[in-house]
Amino acid sequence: MEIQLSAPLISEAEIRLARPPKSVRAADFVSRLQVMQTVLGAEHFAVLRLSGQGLPTARKFRLALHNWAQDVDRKADQLLGAYDAAMLAHLEASMLPLIWEGAGGNQFAVAGAELFTARLPAGVLPWSGIAFPVRLGAQGNGYVVFIGNFIAPSGDLTVDLHMQSCQILIDMLAADEKKLTPAEALSEREIACLQMAGDGCISEVIAEKMGLSVHTVNAYLGTATTKLDAVNRIQAIAKAIRLGYIT
Amino acid sequence: METMRSDAAAWESYGFTAESGERKSAREILLQELGRCADPAGLSPGLKALTDYVSASHYLLVRHDASPEAGLDVVVASDWPFDMVRGIARTVGASQSRMSELEKCFSLLKPCFHHLADNVAVPRGVSREYCVIAFHVGRVRMSLLLLFPEHFILSQSKLRDVGIMTGYFASVCCEGAILRQDRDMELTDREIECLYWIAEGKTSGEIAVILGISRNTINNYITSVMRKTATKTRSEAIAWAVRHSLV
Repeated sequence: MEIQLSAPLISEAEIRLARPPKSVRAADFVSRLQVMQTVLGAEHFAVLRLSGQGLPTARKFRLALHNWAQDVDRKADQLLGAYDAAMLAHLEASMLPLIWEGAGGNQFAVAGAELFTARLPAGVLPWSGIAFPVRLGAQGNGYVVFIGNFIAPSGDLTVDLHMQSCQILIDMLAADEKKLTPAEALSEREIACLQMAGDGCISEVIAEKMGLSVHTVNAYLGTATTKLDAVNRIQAIAKAIRLGYIT
Repeated sequence: METMRSDAAAWESYGFTAESGERKSAREILLQELGRCADPAGLSPGLKALTDYVSASHYLLVRHDASPEAGLDVVVASDWPFDMVRGIARTVGASQSRMSELEKCFSLLKPCFHHLADNVAVPRGVSREYCVIAFHVGRVRMSLLLLFPEHFILSQSKLRDVGIMTGYFASVCCEGAILRQDRDMELTDREIECLYWIAEGKTSGEIAVILGISRNTINNYITSVMRKTATKTRSEAIAWAVRHSLV
């Protein structure tokens, strides 16, 4: 079996973004990913981020960044078609990198720390690959995926790449977060009322604790709802937690 | 601007390009060592090996998904003196609930240093400072708390290594224990679906139309959620769901 250490890089590997580019930041992510791709000897990278909230079945992976050029739709469909469910379930249960071997004789995927990687069924896709799961918490979860014909990171390299994958998704979340902040900042009183409402207090109890009238409390919750662009109090609480105003 | 630059510096400091061969081989050896411990009985020796890798003296592994009343149940494994564990279990829970969901996302795998309260008796030669590294094993957020010798500075890059490798190790060792705990208070898919629509600001009437079931059924689902999660109001139930990243 002839093992090709690293396939020749496609000379004008076009970098495209799934979303309108955010100039500097996006370019920054791409260059980091390319370094990782080169060190691993992979041919392509892709960042999958989990979008959609609610039911586990309503969540799906969105391609946030990739260098698949024109092939993108077909490759993304292939990848998600084959491993979508397995990757979702894995992200809920484990932190181990996923590795898979492609179909055909020239495909090779083995990890140095075999015990600390999880294998997906082999021979499903035309290429091999490794996917690093990153679970940050309430949001920004996803995978950094590298594909190629010969994927054989040492245990040490796996740890390094995983660390960098985490950092990439953390930075992406930070970039997202900037545009999420509401136009008008919430006042201290509004935050305090929201916090207590989220802790299960009804308006009467909040009013008593804060030494205000019930109407004032309701007014604060009302303005907070407007500022958070929510339709009612409950959505305002959900948004405030996601945005970090209350805990 | 400042934060972006410090991010870049952190990126450089643990990239493989900047690292000496010594750390790499030490990491490889540690992974092999962890491989030998990879069963539930090996939890302690494995954590000890991780502790030694950063030249720390004591480890404490806690999980953050347990309820605040769980007390010592949050501790997964530890070789801290028992009195210190008892004292710290409460502190850890409190510090987590003070953090917003976003802060939790950003603090992943970032080593943080904290001071022990003055009334805690510390073994001779051990620093009053301790280091916390948080990571996710699937849905479960865990932290590794390390004690280390006085006047000793831990290597940041090694601490990051330990974060990833403890995550791997815990994914393998704690698998059974974690999954079992999760099933206890599981909500049904329908209940989560309702929670999701409520968090989006829909009323029971609207959800009834969306899901094509009766309004009373929706209200029953919500009541059942509030009972299962021990929450008093709808707002609190939604806040609970957002905090546990269900919606």
